[in-house]
Amino acid sequence: MEKRTNSPFPNIDRPVLAAIGVVLVGATAFFAWSDRQHDYKYYQYTFRNMVAEKLGADRAETVPSGLQQVWVPGLRRADRCVTCHQAVSWKGFETAEQPYRTHPAEPLKAHPPERFGCSACHGGQGWAIDTEAAHGEVAHWEEPLLGSPLGEAYSLVDNKAALMQMNCNICHRYERETRGADMINLAKGLVQAKGCRACHVINNRGGTIGPDLTWVGDKAPEQYDYSRLSGQTTAFAWHVAHMKDPRALVQDSVMPNFHLSTKESQAIAMLVLSWRKAPFDAAFLPGVPRSDPQTPAEKQAEEEMKTGPGAWFVQTGCFVCHSIAALKVRSPAQIGPDLSTAVEDTQKRFGVTVDQFLKNPTGTMSVVLSRQIVLTPEQKDVAIQKLREAFAEYQRLVAEGKNPLAAAAEGGQK
Amino acid sequence: MRLPFTRRAAAGSTAPGVHPQPFWSFRPRSDREAGDAVVSNLMLHWFPSKVYKPSLAWNYSAWLGTISGALFFLLVLSGLPLMFLYVPSVERAYQSVKDIEYVVTFGWWIRAVHRIGAHLMVIAVVLHLARVFFTGAYKNGVGQGQRREWNWVIGVVMLLLTLFLSFTGYLLPWDQLAFWAVTVGTNIASAVPGVGPAIRALLIGGRAIEQATLIRFYVLHIIVLPGALGALFAYHMWRIRKDGGLAKADAAALAAELRDTGPVPTKTYTLLGVARGTSPAVTARSPEAPDLTVNAVPDLTRRALIVVLGTFALVSILASAIPSPLEEPANALITPNPAKAPWYFLWLQEIVTDTTVRLGSFTINGAFLGGVILPGLLVTLLTVWPWLDRSSAAAAGLWFPKSRRRQNLVFMLLMLFILAFTFIGMFMRGPYWNFYWPWQTWPGIPGRI
Repeated sequence: MEKRTNSPFPNIDRPVLAAIGVVLVGATAFFAWSDRQHDYKYYQYTFRNMVAEKLGADRAETVPSGLQQVWVPGLRRADRCVTCHQAVSWKGFETAEQPYRTHPAEPLKAHPPERFGCSACHGGQGWAIDTEAAHGEVAHWEEPLLGSPLGEAYSLVDNKAALMQMNCNICHRYERETRGADMINLAKGLVQAKGCRACHVINNRGGTIGPDLTWVGDKAPEQYDYSRLSGQTTAFAWHVAHMKDPRALVQDSVMPNFHLSTKESQAIAMLVLSWRKAPFDAAFLPGVPRSDPQTPAEKQAEEEMKTGPGAWFVQTGCFVCHSIAALKVRSPAQIGPDLSTAVEDTQKRFGVTVDQFLKNPTGTMSVVLSRQIVLTPEQKDVAIQKLREAFAEYQRLVAEGKNPLAAAAEGGQK
Repeated sequence: MRLPFTRRAAAGSTAPGVHPQPFWSFRPRSDREAGDAVVSNLMLHWFPSKVYKPSLAWNYSAWLGTISGALFFLLVLSGLPLMFLYVPSVERAYQSVKDIEYVVTFGWWIRAVHRIGAHLMVIAVVLHLARVFFTGAYKNGVGQGQRREWNWVIGVVMLLLTLFLSFTGYLLPWDQLAFWAVTVGTNIASAVPGVGPAIRALLIGGRAIEQATLIRFYVLHIIVLPGALGALFAYHMWRIRKDGGLAKADAAALAAELRDTGPVPTKTYTLLGVARGTSPAVTARSPEAPDLTVNAVPDLTRRALIVVLGTFALVSILASAIPSPLEEPANALITPNPAKAPWYFLWLQEIVTDTTVRLGSFTINGAFLGGVILPGLLVTLLTVWPWLDRSSAAAAGLWFPKSRRRQNLVFMLLMLFILAFTFIGMFMRGPYWNFYWPWQTWPGIPGRI
């Protein structure tokens, strides 16, 4: 057979092709090797040895190997945490280091892992199988593992592992008190005591001066203004700082400073972020309240305020900041002075009559009356009239020897 | 090389017109077998038996077309397993991509190959177009029946198809990057006066990017566009044969002195030894002199193999080294800051920003100029350029010939302009699309907790 060998190329091309071939084989070996590099192999090996040492070789045989997952179709979760955290349901490793520690039995009684998975409570990225990604410490994963390392990062007061209670409260939000969720319970108590509902709608009930907070936990982190926040730029850090001093973050906020402690601010930030829509169907919530009704006592107290002599101040919204003790109106926040004595008080404080002050308010009231509570001139006349009535009632009570202001202050402290 | 099961047939079947073997042989034992080999060999159909040596030079074409083809092949190949694993539904797409990434054996690598291959293909196709322009390879040379200008037009269409293929693939992971890149992209389309909103509605199957969009983009991405691109690719290749190979060959032919070759006993019939020295002696007066040409097999095929396998190796290594991002699940209520179009459309987004003028409360939206007029003009200009180019046939197949200096300069400036704007869009636009120098750090992206 004839051969034509006029090509100048083979001398160069053949070795080049051979080199490419070697590179290709190398590249293939590289990705095949990369595919097999996983932390869980080491953890499974170690755990198996631990079981062998503690419970014998026979039991060690039964430790599963390879990828493991808890698949919860109802929650659309496939939690592969158990690939590394194999000890979760093994008794006898209660004091071992993570990931070889037995899960505390108590919470699992009501929340069996096969029905709830892991990440619904703990956070993290259940899909992932390597530590960093699974613990959510990677970009583009907004549900980090709510464990003590994160609590340390936020310098949580007392219990560093408390952040997980946020996820408890996604389902348990309508309970007044949830066992094991002390921070959330503290925050719920504060919400009642400080009267947050005077301005905010929470669980579909409350005032409209501030934003509706019912689903505020779903607000995207990008939607907060961090320009006045120092330190971590996260929604959680924002809420903690905001609870401590609202005006430090939002300059023209009318939200009062409640002078909360760090722990209280952290608790409320956790509560607020837990107010999220949860994709749980009813089957997952047996025995958990599905709404947040008022107690009869609360209802009665509210009814009395609404229909009593001070009803006008309640409907108009003045009561959010001001008590009017003479008319039996008690402000939840009690930020402003009691309006029972406003007729006298404006003279003392501002050197003007109450008429003049309402028509040309100064300070905080100028902001409130131009934005939150906008009154027509007729309404202002009504207000002046009502304030005079309140003062008359106050004087009458003082003449009788009762001091309504002192009584109100006492009542507030109870 | 003979496959075992072909041996049986080789012995008996001698009926005329019946192929005795289903496979061709590298080592034919008869003229008949050699002929069969020629007829049934894809490479010998694809390539001419002999090619001009200068056409194979690395520094002429840089083999960019072959690289583009190899990448397309690789994308089809890597797309197949992904089709088995990916679920084109709003509820499950994101999760299925997470599973491909984390638990499917080699899943992360297949996805990375597909992603890197797609990015590289856009680059390779654009570079290929630039090479063809700079060498005037859309110009006809000395051959008869050449229609290189039409192959150029097909090439422009293939570039658009490549961009659209990449764009439709962008949406499929259904993460924030996907959702908002497609939002920006389709909003630009809606800037066409009059029919814009209708075009957008046609693209996304409604008024919002939803399940209808996902399935539309999916079907376009896996069947319609690759099918169209594959068909055009075949036609593109066929036209190269009809046009007498690369334009470089024409240039070489023009440069070479025509001479009598003398009786060439083998001429072009000696593929795999069909005619063993007994073929008609042909005298020719052509530039197809032995020292100007080489056999396609193996000289061309070997180089093609170097390029194709080299491309595969490069993509594989990059895929192993660069993790594929997957952002938060798509959320129509939260706009990532900044929301950016796919990188190859960023120069358009940048132009849209720069041509959007605010005079008090009155805004002149740049989307029409930057998103419709300018790219429309550029594509039209690209398409008709072969008919506007008046330089002589001698300028075909040469890098930067004198007679095409001015148009090459204009083209290069346009490319640099696009590159610069792409660079600005990619690296110098931070949150709120604010301008940042490369050495300035962007404000951090806030997290939830």
